[in-house]
Amino acid sequence: MSLWKIAWRSIQHRGLGSLLTVISMALGVMMVVSVLSINGLVSRSFKSNSSFGYDLIVGARGGGTQLTLSSVFFLGRAVETIPYEYYLAFCDKQTRSEEFRNSIAYRANIEQLRALEALDSVSVAPGGGGWGAIAEGLAGDFLIRHQNDFMQLDERGLFSNYVNFAIPILLGDTYQIENSEAYFKVCATNRDYFDKLTLGQGKKFELASGRFFDNEDAEAGYFGCVMGSLAAKMSGKKVGDQIKVTHGIPGEGGSHLHDQLFTVLGILEPTGTPNDRVVFVNMEGFYLINDHVKPVVESSGINLRRDRDEARALAKEDVKPDSDLTDEELSTVRLPVEQRELTALLVSVFDEEGYGLAAQYLQQPIEQGNLSSTLNWSRFRPLQAQTSAQCVNPVQEVMRLFVYFVEPAKWILLALTTLICVVSGLSILVGIYNSMNQRQHEIAVMRALGARRSHVMMIMLTEAVMLAMAGGMLGWLGGRTLNVALSPIVERQTGVPVSFWDFAPAEPVFAVLSPVLGSSDFAAKIVKFQMSPELLLIPGLIILAVLVGVYPAISAYRTDVAKSLGK
Amino acid sequence: MLELKNVKKAFVQPDGTKTPILDLAEYALATGEQAVLIGPSGCGKTTLLHIIAGITRPTSGSVKIDGVEITRFSEATRDRLRANKLGYVFQTFNLLPAFSALENVMLGMAFSSGRASSARARDLLQRVGLGHRLSSRPKTMSVGEQQRVAVARALANRPKVLLADEPTANVDPANQQAVIDLIRENCRQEGVALLLVTHAMNVADQFERVDRLDEINRVVAAARGVA
Repeated sequence: MSLWKIAWRSIQHRGLGSLLTVISMALGVMMVVSVLSINGLVSRSFKSNSSFGYDLIVGARGGGTQLTLSSVFFLGRAVETIPYEYYLAFCDKQTRSEEFRNSIAYRANIEQLRALEALDSVSVAPGGGGWGAIAEGLAGDFLIRHQNDFMQLDERGLFSNYVNFAIPILLGDTYQIENSEAYFKVCATNRDYFDKLTLGQGKKFELASGRFFDNEDAEAGYFGCVMGSLAAKMSGKKVGDQIKVTHGIPGEGGSHLHDQLFTVLGILEPTGTPNDRVVFVNMEGFYLINDHVKPVVESSGINLRRDRDEARALAKEDVKPDSDLTDEELSTVRLPVEQRELTALLVSVFDEEGYGLAAQYLQQPIEQGNLSSTLNWSRFRPLQAQTSAQCVNPVQEVMRLFVYFVEPAKWILLALTTLICVVSGLSILVGIYNSMNQRQHEIAVMRALGARRSHVMMIMLTEAVMLAMAGGMLGWLGGRTLNVALSPIVERQTGVPVSFWDFAPAEPVFAVLSPVLGSSDFAAKIVKFQMSPELLLIPGLIILAVLVGVYPAISAYRTDVAKSLGK
Repeated sequence: MLELKNVKKAFVQPDGTKTPILDLAEYALATGEQAVLIGPSGCGKTTLLHIIAGITRPTSGSVKIDGVEITRFSEATRDRLRANKLGYVFQTFNLLPAFSALENVMLGMAFSSGRASSARARDLLQRVGLGHRLSSRPKTMSVGEQQRVAVARALANRPKVLLADEPTANVDPANQQAVIDLIRENCRQEGVALLLVTHAMNVADQFERVDRLDEINRVVAAARGVA
């Protein structure tokens, strides 16, 4: 009969006490496993999501962390907006030229030029207002005729040579599932988001069904959308269904459902990133939602364009002056540049020299407000338009977030859960110790049957180890089950699904020992060695069990056989 | 098989004084011999058994089991010797409640050099008439059954000497004789020397060799002489 079996029988004999001890230990381990794996997976996801393939985020001034969280992870509230021209500063000549020709300023100039041409055909009556009035009129003509030159219509964007791409995104709206409180963030963007962004390690977006929307979509016009896998799964939407988006966060002041319908054109494959819980809508359609069209004022202060209908009315004259436009045709009218805003730009920097320098080169002028100068081309502006921007490096922001928030939070949680494990370990000690009176007689009997002191000591330690291992195994299974149970919540909050077999990611678990290990090559290898911290649980529990089992074991070791046999 | 010479034991009192309780000039038991040791309470019977078993070390003197002097051994060696060469039947049976009858018997082999054999344990339990209660726990067994398990356990490691400390004291009169017969018969079968301590004269009367410890223990004898 082995010492294991003797210890096991002892555990069985103290059934309820042993069970409670095991449960206590299991609860502690369950929490450690859950914290380790969920935190590890979410952290890994955070880190990999910050290597999407873009280097900078340009957004409104404010907290860089908030900008990063909202733009990269779709967390928290969207920051303020920046003018659309910031996007154009990164665009090539053709895109920029087309966009400017769609501006209110350009159209206003065209109108004025037409008026001038009409005047040119009429001779000026002599003496009509004198030479002063004629000189004033000529100067005005000159300004108007050269206004479009000032707009630099056919120039490339200021920073276009330094970037691979810049992708505009607009946030702030949500999609709420019908008859449910659950909602998902809406991200308005263009086709580049799916074509040019990568999901870490070069992986591209893939579709589970349907297709991506085109910027000018033949089928859905500007009102197409693509749903992230989780958003589609939870809402039950399929390709071809139509959705309405909510302005702001559902249930909060000022939020309301937009009338505009968007057609689901595609559903993304799960990416394990926050993109899974986002609904991507065509930016052009997003602009055309009535509330999103900001009125613009001319620099003279006259309110020129109040809403979409007026903007459309202008476009109607411009595009088809002599005929009426149908609603369908109206939905293909793009909003003028002055009325467009952005939440952020995701910028990939063209950097032949190696990462970092070019990004820094861009960051500085943007931070210093150089882009604001690009806003002077038009005399039409939305009221209270934000004109300054910031440029953040998302990797740095994520790392900062980690260093200051995520890592300390993880350590606090781990410390708490480890404390629970230690308390559970102490319950093993208490459990065994409380039964020592009865045990001393049993130990004496075993000793009388020939058991050595080392035998009874080992039996005690084995019992403690078995209790800890049973609690550990049960806790590990419990932790995994808890992860599966929490997965929908975690996935909704972070976009990371957690399965039963998702171990805590490998990390340099022995790095904390570096001050003790010194600076030898061997120490460096140990410090750099990576493994899942979950794998340390079992040896950790054994050490804990041995520590708490030592006292009862010593007590068993010291048992006076002659005295205890007489009890 | 068992040989004691000038064995003395004194306990140290809290005030530092030594109280002698055992002083045995000579005591021996041949292979397969069966002897009974009687004497009043306090005459040192249990202390003597503990000394023979190596549980307690004598203050002085020699104790040889199977020709091996055990008093000079370390405690661990004495433990090993006890596991291999001695069997012990307690007055209160001392079966471990967590173990079945079979496991209690196997526990008697667990600490010896040989391998714990389930077959041997089953065979012994068959011999003591408990073949049908192998998996029964002690608390579900009668007192007589418990003592029979204890006897089987004491013989499990094929001891050279079996020490029985008042094995019938807690057994009802109807079963006392059965227990004695069981111990004696099995010791005979296994060729084990038996030293049985008892108060009961009806038990002692069945043995050819009866030793009175109050007479051979010079401490008690001297005290009586003084008295």
